[in-house]
Formats: sequence, C-alpha cells, structure tokens
Amino acid sequence: MEIPPLLIQTIGSLVAIFLLFLLARWMRLGGKPGLNSEEGVSSAAAEVIDGFEAEGFAFGDSGSAAIARDADGRFVLIKRHGNKFAGRLLDHGAWAESWRDNHPNGQRGPRIIVDSGDRLFGKVTLFTDEPETWAEAINAL
Amino acid sequence: MPDFSPTQIAVPFFVLAVLVEMIWSRLRRPEAYEPMDTMVSLLFGLGSTVAGALFGGFAAFVFIEAYEYRLFDFGEEWWAVWWAWPLAFLLDDLKYYWVHRAGHRIRWMWAAHVNHHSSQHYNLSTALRQTWTGSFTFGLLFAIPLILIGFHPAMIAIVGGFNLIYQFWIHTEAIDRMPRWFEAVMNTPSHHRVHHATNPRYLDRNYAGVFIIWDKMFGTFEAERDDEQIRYGIIKQLGSFNLLWSVFHEWIGMLTDIWNAPWKHKLSYLLREPGWTHDGSRDTSDTIRARWLERTGGGTDTAPKQVASRNPIAGSGEAA
Repeated sequence: MEIPPLLIQTIGSLVAIFLLFLLARWMRLGGKPGLNSEEGVSSAAAEVIDGFEAEGFAFGDSGSAAIARDADGRFVLIKRHGNKFAGRLLDHGAWAESWRDNHPNGQRGPRIIVDSGDRLFGKVTLFTDEPETWAEAINAL
Repeated sequence: MPDFSPTQIAVPFFVLAVLVEMIWSRLRRPEAYEPMDTMVSLLFGLGSTVAGALFGGFAAFVFIEAYEYRLFDFGEEWWAVWWAWPLAFLLDDLKYYWVHRAGHRIRWMWAAHVNHHSSQHYNLSTALRQTWTGSFTFGLLFAIPLILIGFHPAMIAIVGGFNLIYQFWIHTEAIDRMPRWFEAVMNTPSHHRVHHATNPRYLDRNYAGVFIIWDKMFGTFEAERDDEQIRYGIIKQLGSFNLLWSVFHEWIGMLTDIWNAPWKHKLSYLLREPGWTHDGSRDTSDTIRARWLERTGGGTDTAPKQVASRNPIAGSGEAA
C-alpha cells in the first residue's frame, strides 16, 4: 500500500512541531508574568480597553488573574495567558459568585469566582475583603 | 514549465530560522517565545498547508478558466518571457496589498485572516501562523485581473510564493531597523511590527507584502515609533490555546451575529468592518482610534507605562 505523500509530510511536520515545542520548554522560553500590583493591573486593563482607568482591584492566586473596576462601574477581568495577559470587559453575560467559607475546591478566604461569559476564557477566582459587593456589582451589569 | 513550489522548498529553512531565533530568544529575550503559542502557530502553518492541498483546487480551476479570456498572450513558452516575471511580482504585490487590506476591513475576509494575528507574540513562528479557511473567502478574486491581463496562473502562484517567503523574515523583534533606503521602499520587521500591533495608533496600518510603497501611496502607512511600545495580537485577545477555537472563533462569531441580526443588517455583518454592529455596541478599529485621538490628541501617549510590568513589551525601553 502506498502512503500518500501529503500524509507523510503531515506526520513529519507534526513530529518536528512537537520537537520544537519541547525544545522551547527545555530552553525555558516564556516565563510567568504576574498581576501582583495595582499598577500592573491598571496597565493590563488599559491594554484591554484603551483609556481604562482602574480604581478598584481584586487579585487572584500567585498573580494569575485580577479584576479592575473604573469610576464608570465597568469591570475588566484579566488573566495570565501563556506569558502574556488577556482580558475581557465584562457585560451582562458575566456572572460572579461570592464566597466567605471554604469552597469545595479547597480554597479559603473571602473571594469571588467570576465567569466572563466567554466559555473558552474560563472562570477566574479572585480574593477580596468585599466579595459580596463585587459579585453584586458584576451580576448587576 | 517545471513543477516548482518555492514555499515548499523553503519550509526546512523556515524551521531552521525558527530554531535560530529561539536560541537568540534564550540568550537575549526569553519572553519573546512561549512554547504553547509557538506550537499553536506551527500547527496553524501545518493545517494551512493541508487545507491548501484539500481546497486549493477550486482557485486553480477558476484561474485556469479565467486564463482562457486573457487580453495578452505571452505565448506557449510564457515562462521564458523574462520581463514578465518581475512585472508579475510587482503587480502581485500590489494585489497582495489590496487583498490584505480587504482581509482587515471586511469581516468575511477577516474571519480567515484573523488567525495570522491572534498570537500575542511576534516572532518567526508567527509568520507561519497561516489561515486554514482562506479558500472560503473571495480573496482569489483579487488575482483575476492579473490572469485576465495574461499572466499564467502558475506564474502568479510562483511569484506569490516568493512574496510569502519574503514576508517570513520580517516577523521578528530581533531586527530593529534596516538601512534607511531599504526601510523607504521595502516592507521590514519595523513596518510589519506596526501591522501586528493593537495600539490604537497602529490599527489597520501597513498592509504591504514586499514593497511598503503601496501603503505610502494609498494612505495607510504608519512608521514605528521608539517612544511607544507595541502590543501584539487582536483587540479581543483569545485567552486560549485551543487550536480549533483559534482557527474558527471569528467564523463562529460572524455566523452567530448574522443569525441573530435583523434581516436588513445581516449582509453588513458579512461585508462591513470587524467590530461593526447595527446598534453600535462594539468597537471597530476606527472607533478605537477616534476615541484614542480624542483622549490623547495623537501625541506621545503614556503607552509605555500602560504596558503590564512583566509583559515583554514593557521591557527596558529597548526598541522592539
């Protein structure tokens, strides 16, 4: 049986791509930036929405995510994506849940779980002393 | 006429060049590459090749049919007419400018072309991040005038291949600026970084393939500034490395919008610019730029400070 050249080429290319991926990991390319400071989150939020001036903040674990609120009551949800950040301006499709007790996933402390409404963006857990206030404001969008 | 595909021959050199740039990245800027992003970009390249093999036949059929109606005949040995080659290359590059401009300004075309822009990185692997769905747009129509003039479809395919090969090396941050005379005429890493930027100032600029002169002629040129750090990607960054979502997200979004839109607006969601909505609820590149201009006056923005501190683009101020 003769194997089609396109198939051979495709399999060979897949192997080469995977090897390059492994090499990039082995070389430790990339890194993990963090959303650890209000200044950093402000900057990231302004990248999502040009001119966005953040006034309120909540942060995720290890700088993996954050949410920023501006004076107009808009929210920008940001998460680490690879070694960059991606964000969403929340709208009526967003949803938030506040927690003060232990969450079934084992996390402790007052926090909110925010769903941007974009399934592939995923849910984000953020820690704040006022989880109910945040959740209520997001759910009111 | 020999059976000749310049891009296929170039593939091993592409891989080698990515390897070399990865080593440069390791030594100078480890953040310039991200393993998952690189893998997705390369899978885009592979899928694009497969899609071309599967669906490219339709374009070939249309071109061969159109060739029957050519105005000028270069003869049976059309490939031996030496001066036709540089002329075809030049005109094909002009065609590329317009098909590329359409790729950014018409949502149907953008649904396919967005794939090339959806990485937040700008390196040689980004160059290989090519669409799988180009055959499902009307981009092929832009080549019809060249065929009707009399350029053989194979000649158009070959010069188009060289055009793509040229564009490979300009997808890098490893090169700052080329000599001034070169920057004046040719598309360069600097000019093309602007094209991949999401900064309001740079949106929908520098569509050129090989010769930057087209942007200067048609009013879409923007020079890269040293005082403004570039952010790469798309306005609504994907936030996901899911390959299939990356390939089809804009098609899904566009078809959903068409489905939900009132009848009189359905066609506009297909043919108007990305971000256009009948109720003005989303931003287009024009509205984003207008708002930015109103806010800043278009001068030197505070953009470098607006870049998150650990993003590579927020580095030491070194030119991209």
